[in-house]
Amino acid sequence: MNLLPFVVAGLVIGSVYALSGVGVLVLYRTTGVLNFAHGAVGGMAALLVWQTVELRMQPPVAIALGIAAGAAIAFLFGLVAGPSLARVDQLRKAIATLGLALALLGVMLFVWNDKARTMRLETSRISFDVAGARVNVTQLVCLALALLVVVGTLLALRHTSMGTSMRALASDRELAAVVGTNVRLVENTAWAVSGAVAGISGILLADQTRLEPAFLTFLIIPELAAVVIGRFVSLWLTLVGGLAVGVGQSLVSAWPTVSAFSTAVPFVVATIVILVATRRRVVTVGVVRA
Amino acid sequence: MKQDFFSRTDVRGALVGLAVGLVLALGLPFLPGVGAGLALRTLTVCAIYALAAAGVGVLYGRLGLVSIMQIGLVAVGGWATLRIYHATHLPFEVVMVLAALVTAVVGVLVGLPALRLSGLSLAIVTLMVAGALEVLVTYAGFPNGGNGFLGRVSGGTLAVIMPRPGLGQSDDEFFRYVGVVVVVVLALLRWLLMVRPGRTWAAIRQGEAGAVSLGVNTVAHRLLALAVTSAVTGVAGALLAAGSGILDPASFKAQQSVLLFATVLIGGAFSLLGAVIGGLFFYGMPQLLSTVGLDGNLVFVVLGLGLVQAVTTAQAGIAGQLAELWRRLRPRLWPRPRREVTV
Repeated sequence: MNLLPFVVAGLVIGSVYALSGVGVLVLYRTTGVLNFAHGAVGGMAALLVWQTVELRMQPPVAIALGIAAGAAIAFLFGLVAGPSLARVDQLRKAIATLGLALALLGVMLFVWNDKARTMRLETSRISFDVAGARVNVTQLVCLALALLVVVGTLLALRHTSMGTSMRALASDRELAAVVGTNVRLVENTAWAVSGAVAGISGILLADQTRLEPAFLTFLIIPELAAVVIGRFVSLWLTLVGGLAVGVGQSLVSAWPTVSAFSTAVPFVVATIVILVATRRRVVTVGVVRA
Repeated sequence: MKQDFFSRTDVRGALVGLAVGLVLALGLPFLPGVGAGLALRTLTVCAIYALAAAGVGVLYGRLGLVSIMQIGLVAVGGWATLRIYHATHLPFEVVMVLAALVTAVVGVLVGLPALRLSGLSLAIVTLMVAGALEVLVTYAGFPNGGNGFLGRVSGGTLAVIMPRPGLGQSDDEFFRYVGVVVVVVLALLRWLLMVRPGRTWAAIRQGEAGAVSLGVNTVAHRLLALAVTSAVTGVAGALLAAGSGILDPASFKAQQSVLLFATVLIGGAFSLLGAVIGGLFFYGMPQLLSTVGLDGNLVFVVLGLGLVQAVTTAQAGIAGQLAELWRRLRPRLWPRPRREVTV
């Protein structure tokens, strides 16, 4: 059996998982919010693109609109819920985004029902052969974009003032505020940027897989697996993790006998990483405020 | 000591809850309007989901653990029930207990690795399990009397339907049956929360360092909690399977697990009343919306936003607000003579 097409497909999907995971990671490090709604924001963006293209809008404009919508949704949530979220612990922050995911899923199901659609970007129509595997331009875009975003994020975090502020917040929120960082501005920027990243990856994933609200919402699962492999800190390891999860899923789905278990790959990988990464949890003194 | 036990406020509250629950379970079918037909069947399923909600509520409210896979575990319980029934034809009550045990084992196995880390990793892992279970259940289907491990009939063979338990053949008998089982299981859970394990769980939630310094094995106690709540959820799966005799993978999607979690937090995770409210919201509200002609998907929007609100501002949920209301109203309704307090 020629496994190369599966490896290529896995690498492409995996690179989008990684791309999306970078958005989750930057937001998590900056605001402490692990965004379970990342996939739902992407789904929303993809469906908006599909809808506006159906309404005869130029695809590039539609895509720009979709990405802007993703950024706007995340930004608005950060703007409205951010101040209250800042006061609760990390687990509750994450749970609150679960509510956002549910609400967005509800809106998508209400407006577009749960029919599986397909969306083909213009770039997917141009394809060529590489060593027996068919590759289209969208897939190249996915791979290049993932690499670009990882490198770009690393450079931005290191060399821009906003990036420095984000690192300051990630290190210690209170201290960053004390030395005069505009915490709200930095957090809102992080929300908007991660929303835009979610939008981009949602549109790409909708093109590569299928355009279905619940499916796209729960793509947060492999994306989170990538972040877990990156141990919630490393952008490069997140990239590696995304690729690993993508290729793993793709290879498992290559064999008919086990193909049904391919969705369990993120769970297995994340569990192994969680087991290996930290031997003991650190017990800290603190009182839970109910 | 015996008198002390009965004068404890939590014990009295639990007894009142037990009495109200039993009255509702046995008396509701007599009510005109809600006591028959679709409404009664809906209430039956709501009562069943109250068990799953109680599992989520105890884990979150008593231990601070987030489990987003509970509907997946309901599916596991239902699958085990049908599998065991078609293999052995044992009485339903025995099958139910066995299914609860199977579900407990699955829940523990899944949670074991994540429990060693922070609460966030359990949330992540359980969400992943919810996604994986959805696909597995869709792939495997539910046993309906066929051969082999999966027990699926194929071709033109008719599916075999598991009969309802002997004590609950008709709709209103089955409601009473479910009602009594739910009340008994909730009572056992309440009792567990009042005795040593429950108090240890509370100690862990209050401060892990303190619990560790008292010699509490926190991982073991968390595992016990996972086992107990998973077993309770397995009972819910068994009852669901008994209700229709056959189950549909479409009712166990991953978003349902998230929805259940939302309803529990909105209902109130700190009390079992919250679980009952959560069960009502989870299954009753979509039915209610579609009865009045609205799209059932709006439930996701309402409950999703409700979850954000519950997490950020109203931690105790609706049950907490009801309890607060009761605390304020009671002195006005039944004014008590002020007791002298001697120190």
